[in-house]
Amino acid sequence: MSHCPHSRGRTILSHPEVPVTNDADLVRKAQTGDLAAFEELVRRHQHGLFSYLYRMCRNASDAEEMAQVAMVKAWEKLGGFRGASSFKTWLYRIGTNLCFNLRTRRKPTEELYETMAAPDNERPEAAFQQKLREEAVRKALDCLPEDQRAALVLSVYQDMSYKEIAETLGKTVRAVDSLLFRAKSNVRKVLAEDRAKGII
Amino acid sequence: MSNHSMNCGQVKRLLPPFLDEELSGRVREQTASHLASCPACRAELEALKADMGLLEQVGTPEVSPFLVTRVMAEVRERRRAAPHGFARLAGSLAAALVVAVSIGAGVLFGSGLAQTATPVAENSTEEAVSYVESSAADMYAMMAGGD
Repeated sequence: MSHCPHSRGRTILSHPEVPVTNDADLVRKAQTGDLAAFEELVRRHQHGLFSYLYRMCRNASDAEEMAQVAMVKAWEKLGGFRGASSFKTWLYRIGTNLCFNLRTRRKPTEELYETMAAPDNERPEAAFQQKLREEAVRKALDCLPEDQRAALVLSVYQDMSYKEIAETLGKTVRAVDSLLFRAKSNVRKVLAEDRAKGII
Repeated sequence: MSNHSMNCGQVKRLLPPFLDEELSGRVREQTASHLASCPACRAELEALKADMGLLEQVGTPEVSPFLVTRVMAEVRERRRAAPHGFARLAGSLAAALVVAVSIGAGVLFGSGLAQTATPVAENSTEEAVSYVESSAADMYAMMAGGD
């Protein structure tokens, strides 16, 4: 996911008055009511948060709506954020709660996947194989309980450490280790079945 | 450290955190040592890597280019409707401070300065206005004299 560099002395293109800085500094500025600082936080985390929520709820419209709600909630609750965790894990935790609530309300049949990329007309066979792999992975992720799925998505796609995942999901590092072990075992079982059937 | 200090079952349980670089110290050393001497566990580690690599190949759609705009529009709207949390907090603290100072001043003037306060309270509005006007006149006269 794209994040702005954390080097000092540069400025953000969209807001030249905001120097490039780390999340903690931006949070402090935003807590005083600095909207440009908060906008930069939104800009930095929009792709990662959307991607995480998309992999969790499996619907781009829902993921985008949840990302928007999570960010607005983050603004409203920012005054109470004390920096015990990173802004990222705090924001993702808000998103996780929204997502778990939505998934509880919705039936799996309402969920659908959207096309990832345009088909490769130059190499139709390679595109077809890639499509099969994507379907196999989605199916494998679908089989996971939501806490295992969240832990795996945060680990594999968001590159979070076990400590960050623990902060995001409100669990201990030990619990995250256990969740990830079970998640990976379960996913691998499903992938092994597809491999045995020659699907992937 | 002996290569046999961990058995294959124990190492297999540790492969995910080993791959995620979450093991440290002696446990990591023991796992690495076992892997160096156990082809079966090494194969298992490679298979795990391959499956995790497969997961990484699956992308997500692009986020809408208008998400930031929509979020900030809603934030601005909510800010207009209700001041930001910190502004609210600052406002509340300022109000509390004013109340505290007023109470403190009331206690102070009400006790020690009761006698001087009473005559002021007894003055008529006209006298008070007249006092303010004459004070202002004196101030202007003083300023004019300075020129």
